[in-house]
Amino acid sequence: MYKAVVIGGSAGSFQVITKILSSLPKNFPLPVLLSLHRLKHVRSGFVEALSIKSTIPIVEPYDKENIKPGRGYLAPANYHMYIELNKRIALSTEEPVNHYRPSIDLTFETAAQAYRDKLIGIILSGANRDGAYGLKKLKQAGGVAIVQDPNECQVKTMTEASLKLTTVDHIFSTDQIIQYLLKLK
Amino acid sequence: MILSDQEVQFFVNTLKNASGYDFSEYSEKSLKRRLQKILIDNNSDLLSLINKIKTNKEFLEQTVKDITVNTTELFRDPQIWQTLRYRILPKFSENRNINIWHAGCSTGQEVYSMMILLNELGLLEKAKIFASDLNTDALAAAKKGNYKYRFNIGYLDNFDKVIKENPYNYEEYNDVAYSKYFRIDKVTDSIQMNDFLRQKPIFRQHDLVQGGNLYFAKFDLILCRNVIIYFKYSLQNKVFKLFHYHLYTNGYLVLGMHETMLGEITSKFEKKGQAYRKK
Repeated sequence: MYKAVVIGGSAGSFQVITKILSSLPKNFPLPVLLSLHRLKHVRSGFVEALSIKSTIPIVEPYDKENIKPGRGYLAPANYHMYIELNKRIALSTEEPVNHYRPSIDLTFETAAQAYRDKLIGIILSGANRDGAYGLKKLKQAGGVAIVQDPNECQVKTMTEASLKLTTVDHIFSTDQIIQYLLKLK
Repeated sequence: MILSDQEVQFFVNTLKNASGYDFSEYSEKSLKRRLQKILIDNNSDLLSLINKIKTNKEFLEQTVKDITVNTTELFRDPQIWQTLRYRILPKFSENRNINIWHAGCSTGQEVYSMMILLNELGLLEKAKIFASDLNTDALAAAKKGNYKYRFNIGYLDNFDKVIKENPYNYEEYNDVAYSKYFRIDKVTDSIQMNDFLRQKPIFRQHDLVQGGNLYFAKFDLILCRNVIIYFKYSLQNKVFKLFHYHLYTNGYLVLGMHETMLGEITSKFEKKGQAYRKK
């Protein structure tokens, strides 16, 4: 019944992301939209590193690319990644939002408009507040809001900011996130 | 400030009726965001903005400028410039002239990058450089060729990757001084392009939505990077047709790192990475 999963995190959440992506079945039924902050000078190599571990194919999408189930779409370095209502990717080089491009808030907010109550949003470990507002919009649109357990996070700023702004559906450890995703049909 | 799709539509229609600018085929998400930002920056609501657009020509022009996105860098995405250096520009080395159009040149960094590269290849003299943008403020900045230094230290890394190093031969190193092309002044925090570069390009205001032959010329190379991401698919295709018409056979169109051509127009080009050769 769900149509997409959107995940936000910063450079420090790389290990959690790879653990999640390596645990998904090859025929995972939903697209996975990834909006992740990167270290300033690491522009390439990220998608390759994720692809090595991931069971589903991971791409840095082209603008206007059609979103398909069972694929991961990583916001390209230095672009915002929007989700259009017609379920296509739209990229933008507009100014960073709260110092970040890609902005997790923007991906979450537009994904929420596109998928409404058919969307699952997950905020992982991160060193800033980006994503908190986006998760709120996702929840308001009827989506399922999940936050990684701050006690498990190396840096709690992002998850705690999200929890402050939104009454979330689940506070999960990495393993619980994986178990949750594996039950999706 | 959350705008509905109908409100954005209302704005687009007003603008279209009051001027030659037509944003009806711009990508919805980014257009809505730009408009919301303009309202916040002007501390205005949509109705007041629309009334002001109808009555104040200067304000209308400023609003259009504010809608456009002007992100650019010197040698942005070095691998595209490496492709230009080693795979594309050498094909034109025997030409008498090389016509190049930067469509959506923004504040000019891409234009200077091209001229620097051409000069290193000994091709600058035979090149004609045309550069256009919708935003006249951006064009004025492009003509000045003066950029902040501290905010843009990445320019130098990009320069090194494209001009000094050779990704196909790690032993090669061209020790080209920055001062050959620009002056870095850390006190005034500026990078100033040298005059022989500044004087070369022909800058013109141009709206890709309007089409038309801007320069009455055909081109060997058209660069249009991170412009069409703001256009809907239908407008993207119109612009690709415009570029196809303005390219010589075997000329190249270069798009941004994450832009691609879709649909039947693709049959008229051969794709090589981000470069499209006109068949």
